[in-house]
Amino acid sequence: MDMVLQAIVAAMQPAVLAATTAGALVGLVVSAIPGLTFSLALILVMPFTFAMDPIPAIAMLLGVYSGGMTGGAVSAVLIGIPGTPSAAATVFDGYAMARKGEASVALGAAVIASAFGGVFSLVVMMMLLEPIAALAIRFGPAEIFALVLFGLSTICGLAERSLVRGLIAGVLGLMIMTIGLDEIDGVGRLTFGTVQLQQGVHMLVAMIGLFAVPQVIGTFAGHGRVKPEIVTEDVRGLLPWSRLHGYWGLMTRASVIGTVVGAVPGTGGPIASFLAYDHARRFSRNPDAYGTGEIGGVVAPEAANNAVMGGALIPMLSLGIPGDAATAIILGGLLIHGLQPGPLLFQSNLDVIYALYVTVIVSWFVILLVQVAGIRVFVKVLRVPAHLLAVCIMVLCAIGAYAARNSIFDVYAMAVFGLGGYLLQRARIPLAPVVLGLVLGPTLEQQYRTALILSEGSHRIFLESPVALVFFALTAAIIGWQIRSSLARGGTSAA
Amino acid sequence: MLAGPRRTRPTGAVLALVALLPVTAGAQYPQRAVEMTVLFGGSSATIAQVLADAMSKELGVPVAAVSRTGAGGAVGYSFVRSSPPNGYTIVWNSNSISTVFHSGNIDFDYRAFDPVARIGMEVPALAVRADSSWRTLREFAAAARQKRMRVGISGRGSFIHLVSAALFSRMGVDVVYVPYGQGTAPAELLGGRVDAALQWPNQFTGQVGAKQLRVLAVTSPARIPVLLEVPTAKEQGFDVDLVMWRGLAVPKGTPKEVIARIEGAARRVVASPRFKELSAKLGFEPAFLSAGEFGALVARDDAAIAALMTQLGLKKR
Repeated sequence: MDMVLQAIVAAMQPAVLAATTAGALVGLVVSAIPGLTFSLALILVMPFTFAMDPIPAIAMLLGVYSGGMTGGAVSAVLIGIPGTPSAAATVFDGYAMARKGEASVALGAAVIASAFGGVFSLVVMMMLLEPIAALAIRFGPAEIFALVLFGLSTICGLAERSLVRGLIAGVLGLMIMTIGLDEIDGVGRLTFGTVQLQQGVHMLVAMIGLFAVPQVIGTFAGHGRVKPEIVTEDVRGLLPWSRLHGYWGLMTRASVIGTVVGAVPGTGGPIASFLAYDHARRFSRNPDAYGTGEIGGVVAPEAANNAVMGGALIPMLSLGIPGDAATAIILGGLLIHGLQPGPLLFQSNLDVIYALYVTVIVSWFVILLVQVAGIRVFVKVLRVPAHLLAVCIMVLCAIGAYAARNSIFDVYAMAVFGLGGYLLQRARIPLAPVVLGLVLGPTLEQQYRTALILSEGSHRIFLESPVALVFFALTAAIIGWQIRSSLARGGTSAA
Repeated sequence: MLAGPRRTRPTGAVLALVALLPVTAGAQYPQRAVEMTVLFGGSSATIAQVLADAMSKELGVPVAAVSRTGAGGAVGYSFVRSSPPNGYTIVWNSNSISTVFHSGNIDFDYRAFDPVARIGMEVPALAVRADSSWRTLREFAAAARQKRMRVGISGRGSFIHLVSAALFSRMGVDVVYVPYGQGTAPAELLGGRVDAALQWPNQFTGQVGAKQLRVLAVTSPARIPVLLEVPTAKEQGFDVDLVMWRGLAVPKGTPKEVIARIEGAARRVVASPRFKELSAKLGFEPAFLSAGEFGALVARDDAAIAALMTQLGLKKR
């Protein structure tokens, strides 16, 4: 108990509070800009932490992480472009809500769900660190492959009207991600002998292109003829608590998905948020409302992607194994301050660990406060005339695409993907499954091949793992369910 | 102290604009921000940030560590090679210049750059689970003759792969190399899916302290400070001398006085207690070499890597 009190005192020091607040603000702002992710924010902030004491330094990095996870939803809702890949699933219903004149409700719901997911995963981390770390280690390549395959089956739910078109879109997404040097053998694929293509397609760059460019083209193509679709609104009340009645169970389940997926090394926020989105739609009494501005389609992915944070910190702190790019950077920050993650950290530096827990909670308070104050300001974006907004979006997206890898090639790549996306839209091929393919493709391929290397080429490795079998069964169930409901609807949408 | 990112570092975008300005004489170098291209993420990127931060103070202009990762370093090397040779674009390089060239992914080699200085070294280490019965390389080799072992490494054709291939061929055993991305090999070792893993020492230190993993050997000619109790492969009778050097290089044709200026700054940074302290925490071993000595090392290493890759059938060029 003494330790806990000391930790609270340590985390409430002015320097620590200032560091947490600054970190959360930087994370929020940077990740609200499409293309600038919290990983970039972490790299930018890192040199400032070198000279700090350990607790404020780590507090700042964690503040950036939690702020960054929530910031991505702001642009997802307001302009229909995810600020970070983890917010991609938030676009579908968040942007639809904004177009129905409910932008502030969507943003409010997103921030409540984010804080809920973040604090939920933190509590799980505090209570169940060791069992979850032990569970995470049991996920080897075969199990991760099965999990990701299950994620891919959610394509059924994203395919909108035609399953065939949905599958075409999904395969396109998978194919795009095979460009470049493959992760296992370092062999170039579809590179046409150029070094630029060897680095492959950056997931975020393709995503910005697909979400932003068709929208911008649409704005200009319809300029002067189409009435502005977006309804401006008056913001009433601070946060839409009443609208969330009946969604707390969903948020809890989405947070569980996020925490578990986050704890498995090699997965991460984008996968978790798509799984949570699909879960919400599938278990909704009104699945057809999803995609047209259903609040459940905002709270589920947002709770999940923020829960990923606590999940990802579990193997990072207890085993020293970073689960994704962001935790890898935070790991560097811990090492710099002489904190070696691993089982011993919990014996030798328990004070620091407790202080970190308190810090994360403080950062959520800061984020809530900022977002509540900010929503009124953010929604003013919607009053900007569509054609002017489109120009700003284009500029921001070009900067974001450049910043992804400091490469001008990515700006051109974004434009190419955007044009491709526009053509697909015209051909009535949905873009959401393309995005799902982008998110899942690399992990799916890499884990499948690694599993086969482990088993020296035998597919039995997939059948010998109970965990993998459970996910295969779930995948089969979802596909069967989809086929049955297609047939029941009279076969119009069946493959 | 109050902490806050009030001072923003120049980003790649700003630097790209700056790079378009006319070249100034080497004598006045440096007059504007210097960009240090970083080729990989993970602990090497953190060390690069520490180095860049300290170099800024030495040179009196911002030195920004800009990450251009991907394609095993091919992207970053290509970028720096095609930048003007004026000292404002430098690369945080490593043996990867040899592995990426010999695997056929770029069409230029180390000779496209002028060496500036070696900053330090990282030494691969081979670990097994602490509950296994192997305490030496010989015991592991004996067991590996009974049963084909699985060894977790980084991507095929990476330096880690080359080192493990050299080590196991000296030990006379045939193993299955399982390539893992994102530094997950230690987790796979803990999870029991591989029998051993060859990685950087700081990926193991937490688990070694907690007595869950045991390091059998390091591949350097002498023991390393972070794992002093671990014998080298050479001590155990297997002649392997492979370490990852990390240093700074500039595009070919950069003026001599500019190189000397960067070299001097790097020398003072590496000698500073602060850099030594942070390096130790990150599992990095500072080891300065001047431009001339560094150039000789790079050339020697390139020949050794080429020979090794030919032997392994990985050489494409």
